[in-house]
Amino acid sequence: MLHVANLTASIGGTPILRGLDLDVGAGEVHAIMGPNGSGKSTFAHALAGRDGYEIDGAATLDGVDLLDMEPEARAAAGVFVGFQYPVEIPGVNNMYFLRTALNSVRRARGETEIGARDFLAVAQEAMDLVEMKKDFLHRAVNAGFSGGEKKRNEILQMAVMQPRLAVLDETDSGLDIDALRIVASGVNALRSPERSMIVITHYQRLLEYIKPDFVHVLVDGRIVNSGDHTLALHLEDHGYADFVNHELDAPERPLSGAAT
Amino acid sequence: MTTVAPTSPIEYPTRHDERWRYAPHDLLGRLSFGPPSASADKIPGPIGAQIPALDGPLIVIVNGVVDERWSNLTAIPDGLRLSTLADASADPAVPVVAHFNPDVDGAADVFMALNTTFGVDGAFVDVAEGQKLDAPIHIVDVAIPDETSNTSCTGVVIHLGADSSATIVETRLGGSEAFGGSNTRTTITLDDHSTLEHIVLQDMPSTQVHLGRVEVTQHAGSALRARSFNLGAIYGRLAYDVHLAGAGAHTDLSGLYYGAGEQTLDQQITVIHTAKDCTSRQSYRGVLDDESAGVFNGGIDVRPGADGTDAEQHNDNLLLSNRAEANTQPRLEILADDVACKHGATVGQLDANAMYYLRTRGIPAADARRLLVNAFADQAVDDIGIDAVRTWVRDRLGTPDA
Ligand SMILES: Nc1ncnc2c1ncn2[C@@H]1O[C@H](COP(=O)(O)OP(=O)(O)OP(=O)(O)O)[C@@H](O)[C@H]1O
Ligand SMILES: [Mg+2]
Repeated sequence: MLHVANLTASIGGTPILRGLDLDVGAGEVHAIMGPNGSGKSTFAHALAGRDGYEIDGAATLDGVDLLDMEPEARAAAGVFVGFQYPVEIPGVNNMYFLRTALNSVRRARGETEIGARDFLAVAQEAMDLVEMKKDFLHRAVNAGFSGGEKKRNEILQMAVMQPRLAVLDETDSGLDIDALRIVASGVNALRSPERSMIVITHYQRLLEYIKPDFVHVLVDGRIVNSGDHTLALHLEDHGYADFVNHELDAPERPLSGAAT
Repeated sequence: MTTVAPTSPIEYPTRHDERWRYAPHDLLGRLSFGPPSASADKIPGPIGAQIPALDGPLIVIVNGVVDERWSNLTAIPDGLRLSTLADASADPAVPVVAHFNPDVDGAADVFMALNTTFGVDGAFVDVAEGQKLDAPIHIVDVAIPDETSNTSCTGVVIHLGADSSATIVETRLGGSEAFGGSNTRTTITLDDHSTLEHIVLQDMPSTQVHLGRVEVTQHAGSALRARSFNLGAIYGRLAYDVHLAGAGAHTDLSGLYYGAGEQTLDQQITVIHTAKDCTSRQSYRGVLDDESAGVFNGGIDVRPGADGTDAEQHNDNLLLSNRAEANTQPRLEILADDVACKHGATVGQLDANAMYYLRTRGIPAADARRLLVNAFADQAVDDIGIDAVRTWVRDRLGTPDA
C-alpha cells in the first residue's frame, strides 16, 4: 500500500528527513513516536504535498508515485492528513467545506457528485461518530474552535473523506479524557482492511485505545527502531534517550518484536 | 464639442490633491462634458439582464435624461413622489432639496460643479412623513459616450420625511465600450427618525470612468445604511460625504471594491459629526487582482460640540497579485469631548496555510482560492438585505451562494 523509501526532505538546505523507510500494508495501523522536532509532522506534510521542501526518495500509494502530485491530487488518490495544527478558515462554512472537499475528490475520480440533501446524511453519520454537536457544521472551518474541537473536526473530515491512507498527526494532543476516547473510537470505527493508518503520537495512552500493528521511533529524520505496541510502553518508561544516543540500555520491559 | 472649461474658482484636481492622488489624471483630462443629450434609442437592447431584478419602481436614466421606455413608474405607492429631477425642479410645489450641501466643507471639486451645471435631470425621490415603503426603488444610470460629450451627468435627489423609511438601489452601467464615463451626484436628506437603506452597484465597462458622489445630511435620530459595490470602470470612484447634523443620528457605510486588470477603485469617504451622540461606522473591503489598485481614503471629522460621538472605521484589503496595490489613508480630526473613535486597516494576501489545508482536502487550487476570496468578500455581500441584489453581486463576482 504505502511504500516510502529513503525519503529525504530539507528546508532551505537544512535536512529534516534523512532517509526515511516505511512500508504500511493494507488495513494496518502504524504508530510513529519520536522526540519534538524529529520530523514527524514534516513526514506527514511531505506525504500531503506541502510546498517548500526539497524532497528526494520515493513515496508511493498502491504503486502510484505521490511525490510529483499536487496536494489535491494526492487527496484524490486517497491520502488524508489530520493536522497537528488544524487551520482556521474564517468565512468558510464547515458544511460547505466538507461537501466541496468530498465532491472535489469524487469529481477527480470521475464519480458523481453528492447533492446537498444526500450530503446531510453523510455528514450526520460522521458527526455521530465523533459525537460532535450539529452547530459545528454551521460554523466557519475551525474558526474559534477549541483545541480539542479542532482535532475532532479532523476526524470528522476523515470520516467524510473515507481515505485510503490516513495520517493522524497528534490528533490526541489537547484532548480531554472523554474526547480522547471518542476520537479513538472514531478512528477504530474507520479501521478497515482497505484503509491504512499512520498515527503520530507522544502518548502511549492513545495506543491503548488504538492498538497499532507496529510502532516506529523517529529520531533525527530517520526511523531508528520499530516494534509492536510494547515498544510504546518501553518509550513511556525510558523516553527517547536510548535512541537519541543510538544505543539501548538493557530494558526493564522486554522489547518484544523490536526490530533492532 | 461642448466641452466646458473648468470655471473658476474650481480647478481640475492634480496629484497633489489628497483626494485625487491615485486617480488617472490623463483619463480625467480626456473626459468631456455637455448638456444632457436626448436618449431615445441610445440603449441598444434590453438592460434587464444587466441589473438586479427588483420588485418595485424603476427609473432608467440614459446620458442624464430619464428614459420612459425602460422605466416603470406605474406602481407608485401613496406617500412616494418619484419623478424625473427635471419635472421636480420645474414644479414650484415641490421643495427640491438643496443640491449643494454647504455644510460639507472642502469636498467641492470641478466634477461636482460640472454635475451641477449639466446634471439637471435624473431622479427625484420624496418619501412623505411617516411613510414606510416596502418595495425598493431602483435607479439605473446608463452612460453611452457620444460625439458631443463623452461623459454624462446625472443628478439624484432623495428626501425622506420624518419617521419614513425606504430602500433605494442605484445601479450604474455603461452602454458601450467607447471611452467616456458618468458623473453622478446623489443628494440625500434624511429628516428626523427616518431610515434609508441605500445601495450603489457600480459596474461600468472597463473602458470607462465613473465619478460618483453621494452627499448625505442626516437629521436627529435618522439612520442610513449605505452599501457600495465598486466593481467596474477603469477608474471607479465613489465618494461619500455624510453630515450627521442632528443628535442621535446613525450612519453605517460599508462597501466592497473588487478590482482586476488595470482598474483603480477609489473610495473617498468622509463622515462629519456636528451633532451630539451620533454614531458612524465605515467598513470597506477590497479585493485586488492583477495590476489593479484600491484606494480607501476615510475621514472622521468630529467638529466642536459633537460630544458623545462614537465613530469607527475599518478597511481590509486582500491582494491577489504582487502587482496589485492597496492605498489606505485614515483622516481623523477630533475636536469634541467624550468621543470614542476606532480605526484600523489591513492589507494581506491569501493565507498560504489555508490554501494548503483546503488543497489537502482535495479542493483544487483555483477553487480553494475562490473559496478564500469569497470568504473575505462575503462579509460585505452577506448582509445585503435584498435577495435579488445579493444574487446579482454574487453572480457578478462569480461566487455561488454557499
Ligand atoms: N519552515 C521551516 N523552516 C525551518 N525549519 C523548519 C520548518 N518547518 C519545520 N522545521 C524544523 O524541522 C524540524 C522537524 O519539525 P517537525 O514539525 O516535523 O517536528 P515534529 O517531530 O512534528 O515535532 P513535534 O513533536 O514537536 O510536533 C524541527 O527542527 C523544525 O524546527
Ligand atoms: Mg509535529
